[in-house]
Parts: sequence; C-alpha cells; structure tokens
Amino acid sequence: MEYADCAPDGSCVSEGAGSGKGRMRMRGQEREYKSKNLQAERRRRQKLSDRLLALRALVPIITNMNKATIIEDAITYIKELQKNVKDLSDQLLEMEASSEEEAKQRSETIDAAEEMNKCGIEEDVEVTNIDGNKFWLKIVIQKKRSSFTKLVEAMNFLGFEFTDTSVTTSKGAILITACVEGIYGETFAAAETRELLQEIIKGI
Amino acid sequence: MLSSVRIKEVTGGSHLKRFSVTTSLLYPKEINKKPKINPSSSSLFLLPFPFLYIPSTLFSRLSPNLLGPFSLFSLKPNIFWFLIHRKITRPRRMYVYEENACFDGTKSVAEGDDEGFSQSVAPPPTNNSFEDSTNMRVSMEDASATMEIELHQQLAFDMDQQCYNSNNDGNDSNQVFSYEMQEMGFNHHQQQQEDPLLLQQHQAEMQNAHQNFSAAYPPTPDLLNLFHLPRCTPSSLLPNSSISFTNPDSSATAASGILYDPLFHLNLPPQPPVFRELFQSLPHGYNLPASRVGSLFGGGMDEREASGGGYGDGDDHRQFDNGVLKFTRDMACIGKGREGKGTKSFATEKQRREHLNDKYNALRSLVPNPTKSDRASVVGDAIEYIRELLRTVNELKLLVEKKRCGRERSKRHKTEDESTGDVKSSSSIKPEPDQSYNESLRSSWLQRKSKDTEVDVRIIDDEVTIKLVQRKKINCLLFVSKILDELQLDLHHVAGGHVGDYYSFLFNTKIYEGSSVYASAIANKLIEVVDRQYAAIPIPIPIPPTSSF
Repeated sequence: MEYADCAPDGSCVSEGAGSGKGRMRMRGQEREYKSKNLQAERRRRQKLSDRLLALRALVPIITNMNKATIIEDAITYIKELQKNVKDLSDQLLEMEASSEEEAKQRSETIDAAEEMNKCGIEEDVEVTNIDGNKFWLKIVIQKKRSSFTKLVEAMNFLGFEFTDTSVTTSKGAILITACVEGIYGETFAAAETRELLQEIIKGI
Repeated sequence: MLSSVRIKEVTGGSHLKRFSVTTSLLYPKEINKKPKINPSSSSLFLLPFPFLYIPSTLFSRLSPNLLGPFSLFSLKPNIFWFLIHRKITRPRRMYVYEENACFDGTKSVAEGDDEGFSQSVAPPPTNNSFEDSTNMRVSMEDASATMEIELHQQLAFDMDQQCYNSNNDGNDSNQVFSYEMQEMGFNHHQQQQEDPLLLQQHQAEMQNAHQNFSAAYPPTPDLLNLFHLPRCTPSSLLPNSSISFTNPDSSATAASGILYDPLFHLNLPPQPPVFRELFQSLPHGYNLPASRVGSLFGGGMDEREASGGGYGDGDDHRQFDNGVLKFTRDMACIGKGREGKGTKSFATEKQRREHLNDKYNALRSLVPNPTKSDRASVVGDAIEYIRELLRTVNELKLLVEKKRCGRERSKRHKTEDESTGDVKSSSSIKPEPDQSYNESLRSSWLQRKSKDTEVDVRIIDDEVTIKLVQRKKINCLLFVSKILDELQLDLHHVAGGHVGDYYSFLFNTKIYEGSSVYASAIANKLIEVVDRQYAAIPIPIPIPPTSSF
C-alpha cells in the first residue's frame, strides 16, 4: 500500500516491510535517520489511508476506489446531506408556523406555585459579604418561565456580575446560589443588597 | 483462507466489462466444481505461457515487495486475452475459466497473504496500474473455479516441463521464493508446487533488490525466463523502473501509465510472433527484441495518454495493436477511475496533484470546524461531520414526524370536542398516535467550535444539555439565558462560572412541550450570539425574538 502511495508521489520507497530497516542498517549509521523517518512517513500514510477507508465506509454511493474519487464522493454526499437538513428544517419551520400548541405551556406556572406551597418552600433571599465587592447569594424563588433570565438581567443592570453560578430546580422552586461581584467598584452592604434583591424578586 | 472481495461492476460505455474491487480478495470457493468445458476454451491451450504469468503475477500481487508493473504485466495478458475472446464469442464464463486456470497456481500463496493483498487492494490505489491489476484480479477471482483445476493442471504441467529446461537462477529465486513463502505462509497445496516454482522464478528475476532472504526452498528451475520481460526491465521493482519498458523519448507522464503498456502488449492474442516479442527467453526459443518491445510500449503509452499517438511502426504485428487500442484506452479509464465522469487525462503529474489538493480543500471548506489543515485531519473532520449530519437528519425526520402526528392528533381532538364535547373519548384515541412516534427516542449530539467559543449540545428525548466554554472574559450568562428562553428551553439547572481563563457553563434544560428545536439550531444560534457579543463588547445587542427555531 505504501508502495502504491509512493508511486505517484515520485518518491518511491522500494523496500518492503521487513527489509527496509535491515538494509538501512547495513549501509551505515546515517541511514538510520532515513529509516526512522521512513517509519514515521509510513505511519502517516497508514493513518491517512485508514481514515480514507472509514470515510468510504460512511458514504453510500461510491464510484471508484481511488483516493480522488472517494473524496469527490464524500463531497457530494455531504452536500446532499446538508441539502436534506435544510429541507427538513424548512419543513419544520413551516409546520411550526401553523401549530397551536401554546396552550399547554401556560399550565406549568400554576403547578409550580402549588407545589411550592405544598412543600413549604418559601421565597428567600440571603446575602453574605465576601471580601469587599463580592457577595454570596442564595435565592429561592418560584419557578416561572424565564425567571432566571430576568434575575440575571436585573443583576447585570445593577452592576453585579455572576462569577460562579449554580441553579437548580426542584418542586416548583428555583434555588440560585451564586457568587456575585460588583463590577462598578461600589461597595454594597449585605443588608442593602438583600433588600434590593427582594424587591427585584417581587418584580419578576 | 479466503478473504472476501466485493466486485462492483462498472461499465464505461463499452461492451467490455470492468470491475472494481472493494475489499480484499475472495478466493474462489468452488474449487471442486466440475469444470465445464466451453467449446471456446480450446483457445486457452493455445497460450500456455500467458497463463503462467498469472500465477506469478498474482503471487507478486500478493506480496508487497513485488513490483506492481510486473504483476500487471503478468495479469494483463490474461485479461486482455479474455476480453478479446469476449469480443468474439461473448462467453462470460470463458472469462472466468481462463482466469481461474491461471489463478489456481497462486492459490496456495494467495491464501497466506490475504492480508497483503487486501492491503494492497482495499486502500484507494493511487497507482492506476494498481487498480487495473486489482480489477484484473477481481475478474479472476470472481469466476468460480470450474475449469480451474483442469486447466491449471494442464497448463502448469506443460509449463513445468518447459520451464525445467530453462536456466536456473538458483539462489536468487530461492531466496526470493523463500521470502515470499515466509510472507505468505505457504504450506499447503502440495500438488501445486509447480506453480509456486513458476512464481518463484518470476519473482526472483523481479526482486533482485531483495537479498536478505534465507534460501529455504529447494532449488527450482528458472521459470522466470519464461515470463521474462525485456531484459532491460527486470531488475527494478519500482514503478519508475517500468519506464525502461518504454521508449526513452516517450513522454512518461505517470509511472502508473507506463504500467499498462507491458500488460497491454502482453495481452495480444495468441500469435507466436507476439509472444516472441514479449517473452525473451522462453524455452521454445522465443526471443524478444528489447527495442521492439520498447517501441511497443512507447506506442502504448502514447495511446493511453490520448495524445493521439498511434503506433508508429509499420510492423505487421501492429495489427494486434489496433484491435487492442480500444482495450487499452478502456483500461486506462479504469485505472484512472473516471469512467462515470469521462476520462480526465492529466498532462502532468503536477496537475493530478493539484486536482487532488483542490478536492481536499473543497472538503475542508464544507466542514464547519476545520482545525488542522493536513489531509488526515481533513478526512477525520469530514467523517465526524458526516456522522453529525446523519444524526441531524434523523432528528429532524423524527421531529417532522412528531409534528405531523401531533397536528393530526390535535385536529382529531378538536373535531372530537366539537362533535361530542367529550374530551375523554378523544383521549382514548390519543395513545395510539403517541405510541407510534414515542417509541423512538430522540437523541442527537453535536459540537460546534468557533474561535473563542465551544458549544456542545446533547439532546435526549426532551432534555437538552448544553455545555458552553468561552475563552474571553465576557460573562454572557445573561445572553445565553435569553437565547434559551427564546428557544423555548426551560432552564432546570445551571452550573458554571469563571474558571481560569475560561467561562464555562453547563445548562440542563427541558424543551417545552410542542416546541421543535433541534440540536444544530441550538448550537448554531448559541455560537452566533456569543460571537456577536464578542464582536460588539460594550453594547449588548438585543436578540431578536424568534418563536421557535
């Protein structure tokens, strides 16, 4: 196979598998470098041909078995697949436009509040000051659609940046644990921040 | 013992049949079939010598050390012979029989070296002659060995008797043969020792370069002389050496092209003058004038290059050439592998390389995340991308199907409500369409990388897990959450933050019921928005709301 690879490249390696190194050794020390490279080159070619083989295995329509045509066939196949994806997604968009599944989403919010009350989870805000500008927050709010987004948006607006965030959802409530840093350099007291956050949460 | 070969018949618009090998060699299994004697097969026996080449050729084919052109040289005559025969009588079986007869000789050797052969056959051969020979080989193996045994025995026997009279190359052949044997693991088919001998001799001549093989095989007569190419050629194993076949002044474009010539010329129909040309030291006293052969090859070369060169000689032997011209052209087509698209003959090897590089670049441009730009990684990326596209297509099909079922279901529901006002009765109908499409679990996964961002989206049923890694300092948590809301993904869990130089986030979300987002849409949108943020850092760009993607 390497032989076949060699031929069109013009740099033909005439040795076979076992004879190359032996012959090289015979000719002297300097040849060992050539044989090392030979092994590396062989490995490189082997890698390429293995991958080409795998590519050929994927493509269903193959015309011929040489390097050039397998790549051509792969190009054709990829284009065809891309076209399929585009067609299907357009079709999906069309169907989306005329669907009426909105009603189901509304029911979730009602359930969330009920669940929270059932489990006795209350909305809560805790703020702890860590080292100047940094705060550690713990917020429990009712799960509503895009409530987290609104919270983050509000925080950003106020100049807080979420450094580390952890959000979990359970039983209709969202627990947000975050390290927040004030980016504008102002120093907030913990109590102030807490009140601020509570107001925000009410607004969400 | 047998490795399988898939032969794909490729027709190039002529009555000649061509095959392309897709896997390793399939050895004819029906060895014990009763050979059917085709009346036209009698012509086989007119040419014992070309068939002798076949075992040696196959043998050489099997061994990686063997010279490609030589094997082609050997194979070709048979193929050509078959094709010629075909023209006359169109007996497909004939095709098969002849080849089997020849192939039988190398059977024992072939078995041991399936690996080598498959290795030589399966990867896309850059060498046109290589492919040609594999085509030949395929056609040979494709045939069931009905006549194989009989022909083989007859021919081999004839050959042996003649070969034993020829010179013995002695050590060389022994060494070569023993080497071959070691490689092939030849240890069976004792009755076919005659053929290995032929091969041995054959190889001995062609593999002068191989010197390190212990002579473990008993001395055999020098059968190689029987198949001897013009004396100017035998020493080299390299395809370039085949240039010696041709005229020095012939424009040798690709070495592979040259390979056709010897075979081509060897394929001439069984006429003693032809063989006299081709086989120098045949026991029957044939002599091949090297110059003549050279001119033959040179003429063939021109023909193949489609440069319009014909055979300049006015030799009466050229008669064959004219009949053979078409064959050669077809074989050239096969070798270059462009039958379906018309022959693109390259004027230079450089053009061929450029053409190949263009194709690699085209492939690279199609793939969304090209990383390294060397050939192996381009192909690797292409493989991953094809898999990803297949996943996406499946996902989309599933979604479309769900949508359609859902719509039908809701329509049915509506009509039920209107007609009866009883929701419960309609709900009993619901499970049926549900089951039909709910059985298939939707799953898809893809990765997208841009310069600073990496997105990994995995979807299982209605849960989407998104992993986002950004390299810059911009905290885009807000933007990402906005996008997720737009895409109708319900955030269940978020974890992440500032990690060293990166911002890394993991989002576990659930798709809202009724929305049909798909993985690539999510990934693309995310990457797009995040990159947009990087592009316009101080001003957060308002994200245009989309109902669902």
